[in-house]
Amino acid sequence: MIGDPVEAGSSEFERRARALLTQSADQLPGAVRSRLTQARFAAVAARSVRAPSFARRWVPAGAAVAAALALLVLYVPHGRGLSENPVANAGLEDIELLTDNDAVPLNGDQDVDYDFYEWAANEADGASASAVGS
Amino acid sequence: MAAFASLDSQTADLIPPGKAHLRDSTQDAARSLETFLAGVERKAFRIAQIALRHEADALDVVQDAMMQLSSRYASRPPEEWRPLFYRILENRVRDVQRRRSVRNRVMAYLPWRAEDEDDAVDPIDLAVDKAPLPPAQLESDEAMAALEQAIAGLPGRQRQAFLLRNFEGLDVAETAAAMKCSQGSVKTHYFRALQALRAKLGEFRT
Repeated sequence: MIGDPVEAGSSEFERRARALLTQSADQLPGAVRSRLTQARFAAVAARSVRAPSFARRWVPAGAAVAAALALLVLYVPHGRGLSENPVANAGLEDIELLTDNDAVPLNGDQDVDYDFYEWAANEADGASASAVGS
Repeated sequence: MAAFASLDSQTADLIPPGKAHLRDSTQDAARSLETFLAGVERKAFRIAQIALRHEADALDVVQDAMMQLSSRYASRPPEEWRPLFYRILENRVRDVQRRRSVRNRVMAYLPWRAEDEDDAVDPIDLAVDKAPLPPAQLESDEAMAALEQAIAGLPGRQRQAFLLRNFEGLDVAETAAAMKCSQGSVKTHYFRALQALRAKLGEFRT
């Protein structure tokens, strides 16, 4: 290599080593050279059957964008308001019922005044009996 | 250039009719890639063989490097191919060395360790060649064997710097790109490699 510092300023040792290595590469056995040639052909053929780089670069990107659009179309509710979505509304109604302070307690037996209800029932029975007797 | 015989039919399916210029440029690119690979394959094989001390492994490593350069980096400018190729090659060499190291560690724990087929000595290799070599060839072979053994004994980065600079002829910038380090590091590794080889071999001559 012209201008290569190793070549220009190389010592006798370096030149001798280079000559020996180059000689060994030039005298490779036929079987090795044949394998190298086959490998080279396979590598060149592998490159040639690939699609052009433009398509290779943009086809996967286009496919990903198309898939994302398809997901959007399928799963995002469009053109319908909140009131028209029964599932979403049901959830909201449940939350309102549970958080309403004025609603009848669903599990509030400890707060019920049973004496009052018993007295009221007796009063009602007494009133109806006197009404029958009179 | 026999590989091009099959390229026309393979690329014809991909390039639409009326785009002859694309077909021509594809063939030009394939041709320059093949020319490049043909120019580096033997030295690459020797570099891998010296590092791995195993012919079949070296062939596999070179083939992998060729395939990876072709499939991933062929679109890069051809001036970048050499450093890229040698970087891939060195990575593959290290992969093989790592696998060997792990395998040897695992095998050391196995009491029923059988003789590995790859490590088994081929009796044909042991047969003595009766034909005498010419004296010059014999001396050259002995010098090469000594040099190869000394290079194989160098630390990995020194071996890489020495072979890429001295054998493959990469300049400092290309070697730095191939080794993924600074140009100063390349010079240091090369200098140390040279010192170590001189210390082992002396001023060897044939």
